[in-house]
Amino acid sequence: MGAYYCAICKQTTFSGGKKHIFGKSHQSRLRVVLLKFTEKVKEARRTLRKPQVEKFDCTQHKLTFWCYCCGAEVEKHVTDDNMTVMYGGLIEHMATRQHKKNTHKFWWENKADPKIRDKVLITEEEAERFKAEVEKVLESFVEKEDEHIKEQADFIRAQEKHRQEVFQSLLERNEELEVSNGPSSSSSLSADISARCQFQSEGSDQPVRSVFVDSVVEVPQAAVGQELTFIGYQDSSTCGNVHTGAFPPWLQDDPLEGSSEAAPQAEIGPSLQEFLKQKEQEKLRKLPPNRVGANFDHSSHTDANWLPSFGRVWNSGRRWQSRHQFRQEEGQKKKQKRKREQHGAEASKKTKLNEQPTNSDM
Amino acid sequence: MSLFLPKLNCKKDIDEVIKGVAEKVVVLRFGRDEDSVCLQLDEIFSKTAHDLSNMASIYIVDVDKAPIYTRYFDISYIPSTVFFFNGQHMKVDYGSPDHTKFVGSFRTKQDFIDLIEVIYRGAMRGKMIVQSPIDPKNIPKYDLLYHGI
Repeated sequence: MGAYYCAICKQTTFSGGKKHIFGKSHQSRLRVVLLKFTEKVKEARRTLRKPQVEKFDCTQHKLTFWCYCCGAEVEKHVTDDNMTVMYGGLIEHMATRQHKKNTHKFWWENKADPKIRDKVLITEEEAERFKAEVEKVLESFVEKEDEHIKEQADFIRAQEKHRQEVFQSLLERNEELEVSNGPSSSSSLSADISARCQFQSEGSDQPVRSVFVDSVVEVPQAAVGQELTFIGYQDSSTCGNVHTGAFPPWLQDDPLEGSSEAAPQAEIGPSLQEFLKQKEQEKLRKLPPNRVGANFDHSSHTDANWLPSFGRVWNSGRRWQSRHQFRQEEGQKKKQKRKREQHGAEASKKTKLNEQPTNSDM
Repeated sequence: MSLFLPKLNCKKDIDEVIKGVAEKVVVLRFGRDEDSVCLQLDEIFSKTAHDLSNMASIYIVDVDKAPIYTRYFDISYIPSTVFFFNGQHMKVDYGSPDHTKFVGSFRTKQDFIDLIEVIYRGAMRGKMIVQSPIDPKNIPKYDLLYHGI
């Protein structure tokens, strides 16, 4: 009793494990399972007599299958990343003694049909035979691969030759032209020639010049690179060059900056002040344009007598009139003050008292 | 306290402030530092100055130091607060007879903040006179004598 898990039904039964095995559902499931299993083995058996070895890996050759008897995943094929023996893994697994034991156990426990059992097993002799065959097939496979590679190499060589011939024929043509034109001066790159090869331009506008006629004749034998123009041996023993790890010229300051002093040294672009001003102006642009004092020039210079535009308390006219009025009153007051000072101290005190109330008038 | 607010001592300073401060409300408090109501008002200013720093700049002016402005703005009661924007004087209708300045102290900080906001918005829209948001019962009462008759 107790909990019994049947792997085939994928169920846990508590009432009695052995009992359910004889039941219908279990047997039907078992049959399905065995069918699937034997199909796989059949495929493998086909390769027993004639093992297949194939190239390539990755996509298909790392598949595994589930062996119901052993309750484990087994690799189907055997591979060493270059070639694979199809169904090699399966056959090897089936040949093991452990697998045999497990198969018998499986059959006994699940009460399966014993006739089918033999199909699942692979005897050791069969396995040995298979291995021998596999070796032979592997050898032949490797030979084939080598042949294939050789063929490809030949093909590549042939192409290369063809190209060379084309190149040479063009050169010969140019040589004839040159001979007809007479002796010529030195240096033109064979880049000229190669460009011609690419575009197949005939009847050259510029006469082809090459430095060494000898080298042209030598072309079919020598490599292509020797038709370049020679510009002299660069002596860098004093300053050093890129191979010795010398200081790169573009990081050296001295030679150029002595001569051109003006523009490159000066800073490009606006100064900090101008930049800040520009930022402020940007902000101003966002403000509504019809706000009070939008056109007020904050930096305009005003004299000492300037007064802000103040709308007075009792007035009904324009604002600047209030300023005007104020100035008038100031003028009058000053006149009055002067007059009263002439008259005497007491009189002036009285008038001062009288003056103050008159402050806030129109 | 007026210790923390910038002071203007002469006409030139006041001119510079009025002309120089751009796109912000200029608040000029006219009064004396020792006066009790002025002290109250200064405290409100100093506490709100930082929060309103993007909208307004607050300055303290002693009435005795710049008599010409005292006369020009017709300041009879202290403290009086005058508002400017971009060099232009802003009038506010508080419900009191004088729209050109705010006389007295504010009841709460929030009143002052609201007032500054209303002035700023009005100025941005191009209004030179705005309606005060302060409850009329919080506005100090005073008698404005019309002289000159």
